[in-house]
Amino acid sequence: MLLAISSNPWLDALVRLGIVALLLPVGVIWLTWLERKVIGRLQQRLGPMRVGPYGLLQGIADTIKLITKEDVRPVTADRWVFELAPFVIVVPVIMALAALPFTAEILVRNMALGLFYIVAVTGLSIVGMVMAGWGSDNKYALLGAVRAGAQLISYEVPLILTAVAVAMLAQSMNLQAIVGAQHDTPFIAYQPLGFIVFSIATLAELYRQPFDIPVAESEVVGGATVEYSGIRWSMFQLGEFASLVLFSVLGSLIFLGGWTWPLDPDGLDGSIQALLMVVKVAMFIIFFMWMRGSLPRLRIDQLMALCWQVLLPFTLLQIMINGLVLAYDWPDWTLTALSGAGAAAMIFVVYQAARREGVPLAPSAGPQRVGSVL
Amino acid sequence: MLGIVKSIGTTVRAAFRRPVTVQYPTEKKVLPHRSRGFPVLLWDFEKDEPFCTGCQVCARYCPVDCITVTMTDNPKHAQGRSKRKKIVDAFYLDYARCMRCDICVEVCNFDAIVMNNTWEGVELSRYDRTDLVMDKEELLRQHRTGKLGDPFREPMGVAHSGWNPHKEDEGDDAAEVAAQPQPPQPAKPTAAPPEANAEDPGAASEKSAEGGEG
Amino acid sequence: MARETLIPAERDLDTIDIDVNVGPQHPATHGVFRMVITVDGEVVRDLDPVIGYMHRGNEKLPENCDFRQVIGYHDRTDYLAQFNTEHCWVEAVEKLGGIVPTERSQYIRVILAELNRITSHLMFFGAFGTDAGLFGTSFMYAFRDREYVQEFFEEITGERMMYNYYRPGGVAWDVPENFKERCNQILDRIRSGISDLEGLMIGNEVVLARCRNLSPMTPEQAINWGLSGPLLRSTGLAHDIRRAEPYSIYDRFEFDIPTGTTGDVYDRLLVRLKEMTESIRIVEQALEKMPEGPIMAEGMKRILRVPAGEVYMRVESPRGEYGVYVVSTGVDKPYRHKVRGASFCNISALREMSVGHFVADVILILGSTDIVLCEVDR
Repeated sequence: MLLAISSNPWLDALVRLGIVALLLPVGVIWLTWLERKVIGRLQQRLGPMRVGPYGLLQGIADTIKLITKEDVRPVTADRWVFELAPFVIVVPVIMALAALPFTAEILVRNMALGLFYIVAVTGLSIVGMVMAGWGSDNKYALLGAVRAGAQLISYEVPLILTAVAVAMLAQSMNLQAIVGAQHDTPFIAYQPLGFIVFSIATLAELYRQPFDIPVAESEVVGGATVEYSGIRWSMFQLGEFASLVLFSVLGSLIFLGGWTWPLDPDGLDGSIQALLMVVKVAMFIIFFMWMRGSLPRLRIDQLMALCWQVLLPFTLLQIMINGLVLAYDWPDWTLTALSGAGAAAMIFVVYQAARREGVPLAPSAGPQRVGSVL
Repeated sequence: MLGIVKSIGTTVRAAFRRPVTVQYPTEKKVLPHRSRGFPVLLWDFEKDEPFCTGCQVCARYCPVDCITVTMTDNPKHAQGRSKRKKIVDAFYLDYARCMRCDICVEVCNFDAIVMNNTWEGVELSRYDRTDLVMDKEELLRQHRTGKLGDPFREPMGVAHSGWNPHKEDEGDDAAEVAAQPQPPQPAKPTAAPPEANAEDPGAASEKSAEGGEG
Repeated sequence: MARETLIPAERDLDTIDIDVNVGPQHPATHGVFRMVITVDGEVVRDLDPVIGYMHRGNEKLPENCDFRQVIGYHDRTDYLAQFNTEHCWVEAVEKLGGIVPTERSQYIRVILAELNRITSHLMFFGAFGTDAGLFGTSFMYAFRDREYVQEFFEEITGERMMYNYYRPGGVAWDVPENFKERCNQILDRIRSGISDLEGLMIGNEVVLARCRNLSPMTPEQAINWGLSGPLLRSTGLAHDIRRAEPYSIYDRFEFDIPTGTTGDVYDRLLVRLKEMTESIRIVEQALEKMPEGPIMAEGMKRILRVPAGEVYMRVESPRGEYGVYVVSTGVDKPYRHKVRGASFCNISALREMSVGHFVADVILILGSTDIVLCEVDR
């Protein structure tokens, strides 16, 4: 199954990891261009057009600019915490990419506990964000870091639980086995509720609208990353876009059927597999960029209320549905029906919560206005 | 979620419209006729001298004091080639201070200064701020080389003195009167042409010197 | 149902309140405005606004300028609603001097002032969307439509922003011949722009969740704090100077005064949206009735001297009540020129509106007051 680049497994792993590490910045640079173009189109304008044909070299120009900037560090900043924070954000993402298969053959290493490993390792990025906020010695950074920590820790839970739900269906945590289990129907058909929760939780993990309050540009001006400039700041961007790629690929693998659906898995050429994956990953990425351009941001307490009062109970409901169907051996369509009903219920609950009138409070007196769904 | 769906639908519809970006500087939009750039001086091609006589009315009325003018005796008048007794000697206009309020154009008695309605009137990047102090040659350059096109010369309400450059006979007296400081006027209409106030602007502009707005 | 506080601010933990400086350089303060917020976690305990960063002598310098040169100062006092401020000054001078502007110029003034009100509210929606988190989408939509209107203004006056077009006694020069067709084209574009912004922001659940019940105000509070404009009307009081003390020819037009109910941020959004539609109505009526004729009053002197006296003239600018108090001693320059900026009075209530809310809400509240710093600092 592994197309060995070399007979020595260590050398083989090193070479593959090196390829990933080299392709990642190039991919991120291209993704920044894509984001600016997509958001520009949403705003009825063109996006970058000057640097290179259709602005394709804009990312390279930005990178050159960032590399040549002065490395500014606040004097009162905690030096090692400040300087190591970008690495603590980027390295776990690359570690997670090491276990992520892109197609059946384009991968670094496939693990039997691949899904578990990926969601565990991406959780380490939270530490990096909090380090950045604390090490900057800046109140805005601290505000942003505290918000980021709260948000990320909270939204890890629904994310992991949806992954658990998928693992229950596929009876394995091996990502290749999960893709193999979707050879005739993708799991999105069985788990619409899980898919919706996964998408919302991923938006929150990536600090994208409507959950971008830790890096809110118009409030805390970049949040925890406000004191960073030059190549250190671009490491944060690298981490963000690498996470985007990571979660998009993960979502395509566990929900959209990976590299085989809708075609017959036997005898699929490697390039067709790659093409299918590219299409599915592109769908996710465009969806995330589209959300970024269209929705305003939620406040931190509303965001937390959404997570703990809506996403988590419905994720647990999804797990219970999976458990019931698997234990009592109900037919597959019950899974779709129950999960779909759960999704409709969740949408209804959020709709009601947002439109609810609430009690008008007298200003500067009385209890504070806290976001709550109930 | 209907509101969110409506928002997303709005952005999707906008994504399929034609972008409104104009790729400046390779494409430039057409400036309207009345567009106000920075002021430039006009050159009288018949008499081969500037229209400006250096009467300093514009400098007096400029709200930000960006104009410096001096006048001198016109050598062409002594030779009998021009009706202007005085001519401008030095004219400095600080583009960095000018706020393009158009008052100098309104009060000019000789229609010698106009706002530059071309792209050169607004594309004025310089590396040094003192390069933005324009002298007389710089201000006359565009009209002399024929690049000014059709500046906006609508007769302007009350502040215009009414001096019509085609009425050659009255030209001298009006120039002399206008060159002196205006005494305080009692309550009666001044030299502003009463027809310009009462008629259609179309009729009034037929009387005005250059084409102007049709 | 009343909700008890869920924030652990009342527990017996030893916490301190930190001062966060929302400094003069900030993407969300709409200009050089500084607030020192004392926060306890995320809750604002105190707010101290610091103004003066944009003080430019807007009241003193016109004492050296004659009545036409002062028009430029008013352009720059409220740089988003220039025609309304010019209108105020020009009407003040006309009141002092007993000058009656011509009919055609009155109609032109009203049409341009209402179109300027629309552009100002469009800018408000653009900036508010950016404050609320939209990644520039509302801003781009707003500026696309503002661009059309500014091109239209450029065709009339020559300038896109600082028009210097109204004069005591009328307007500076007449409008072009295709004025009515162009105006109708512009109104069509504005209608589609308003529907775009409405689809993007009004009814959006996220905007509702952020803005509803945020800093509600009662009419009594609004009057006590001296609020005016959409802030006052969103509390429920239908006070519009164009209806209460009609100036120019506003008493000839039919328009409604949109009001809110609770005075919260969402109501302010709705009031401004409906005001744009009402302005379109006024422009349509004025276009129909606009007569031909002169655009400058007869008997205007070259150097305008008004008799001695004082006048306070107020207009309904998009931000509220914009007023000019002029004292004249009979020469061609004003003796005392005072500007009552609507944003200055609106922002005095900022502390009252913000204490007890979150930091993220303070940005939205500030955005909803729709200030321009030149009016605050003059």
